[in-house]
Formats: sequence, C-alpha cells, structure tokens
Amino acid sequence: MRALVVDDSRTMRRIVAATLQDLGFEIAEAENGAAALALLESGLTFDLACVDWNMPQMDGLEFVSQVRTGNRWRAITLMMVTTESEQEQIVRALAAGAHEYLIKPFSPDALRDKLQLLGLLPAVAGGVA
Amino acid sequence: MDAPVAEGEVLAIAAQIFAALVDGEEGRLVPWPAPQPEPEHDVAAWVDVAGPWAGRASLETSSDAAADLARALLGLAPGAPVPDDEVADALGELANVLGGNVKALLPHYGALGLPRVAGALPGDDEGRAVRRVPLAWHGHSLVLTVWERSPLAGAADGGEVR
Repeated sequence: MRALVVDDSRTMRRIVAATLQDLGFEIAEAENGAAALALLESGLTFDLACVDWNMPQMDGLEFVSQVRTGNRWRAITLMMVTTESEQEQIVRALAAGAHEYLIKPFSPDALRDKLQLLGLLPAVAGGVA
Repeated sequence: MDAPVAEGEVLAIAAQIFAALVDGEEGRLVPWPAPQPEPEHDVAAWVDVAGPWAGRASLETSSDAAADLARALLGLAPGAPVPDDEVADALGELANVLGGNVKALLPHYGALGLPRVAGALPGDDEGRAVRRVPLAWHGHSLVLTVWERSPLAGAADGGEVR
C-alpha cells in the first residue's frame, strides 16, 4: 500500500508518516495541495492520501475537489487530517469527495482505526470493524 | 463580548493535544505552580482566527522547552540535535492545533490563518488577552493565551510562517 501525506508542517508529515510506515505503508510527502497534485500528475499512484486543510498555495479542500474531478484518480482514498473540527467543515470536505475525516490532535490508534473503517487495514478483534 | 472560551476549556484542549501528540500519555502538562514566578519566554507561536469573532491563539515558551517539544513530537531522543527550523515548525504546528480547537468552540465560524513563529508575539495594539493559561511541562514553563482582536484586524506582521 502506498500513502501520500499532504501537510505544510514537516512535523505533522513525519508524525503521520511514522504511523503509516508502522502499519506497512510506503510513504510520499507533499507540503501543499499543489505539490501533491504534481505528484499525481507525474504518474505516481497511491492507495491513500492524508490531507491537511489549511496549507499555502493550494489547501486540502481544493486538492480533494481536484482529485475528485474526473476519473483519473478515483482509486485514491482521501482522508482529511486537520484541526478544522466544526461540523460544517466536515460536511464540506465529505461533499468535496473526502472519504474520512480525522481531527488533530489524534493518537496513532485513532489513525489506525480510521484506516480500518476505510478497509485499508484488516480489522482486529476488539477494534473497529 | 464575553470571552468565548473558558480557562478550563483551554486547559482541556492543551491536555488533549499534549497527550495525543507530544507525550503519548496524560498528565505531563499541568497548571504552572502559581507562587513560583514564570521564567522569561523567548519563543512564541500563534495562529489568527478571522470572522465574526477575531482572535488569536498563542503559545509562549523558552528556546530549551521548544527544542524539547520538537524532540517529543518527532520521537527523538532527549538531547538529540534538532535544527532551528524544525523546532519552529513543531511549535507552529502546536499553535495550529491549539488554534483550530479553540476556533471550534466559537459560536460562529472563523477562518484559521497559517501559524507563525518568532521570538515574541507581535506588539500590536489590536488585541487583548481574554484567557491566559500558564502551564508546566516537564519543568518547562509554557503560556497559552487566547486573544480577542478587532474583527477589522488583519493577520499580524512579524514572525516567520513555518
């Protein structure tokens, strides 16, 4: 499985990437939506993109909208990972095409649970099925 | 306008952030022991909120504490070298998460700015502290402050965007 971590904070990219690597993902990183889109345009493929909302140049909502426009990248599962926690923001992101939404701060267990919900990890006994 | 967030809410947000991202467990971030004077702070990180309620969430601490926070966030060993730009990035992200969660408590939607980091908070006259929460983390002093600003105030000058 390959994951793209999109966040303008190197710190947060490393935190998310470390958790995903522990779960067996290969990681690529981008510091904003435009850089992430460029990676997709270059032909790299990903099973998952973890996307921050507030970033310079292109924010996460715009990135999600662009990925969902057309059919080129339909296979990518998109998860917002953001401090934007108001209900209306969650609704906007899901309407734009995000599959899941994880609010910062989050624990490694919370990220793993979301991936299980998305079917990107096998469910474990006692965990989220 | 009354302060939109209570001191206990700021403390709860901070405790949640540190337990999830910094320490991996609860109880490491505690109120500053009041009679003890707070040391000087030489690093500040903040994010602005724009909207019907305009404000700012800030974190002030010492350079040593900022470096220890960066090490903790990045999973580095105590005393491991950490470049200044990574310290600034880590502190900015903490301010970002703090600001985003404070914003969620507001009665109206607000837009979150990008985090900024500098040696001190901007010296503008447009804001007043409505909540100031002094905290201790592994013996370091941290101060979290929620500021109320004029809705007409723009993003403050000063500081480096991470």
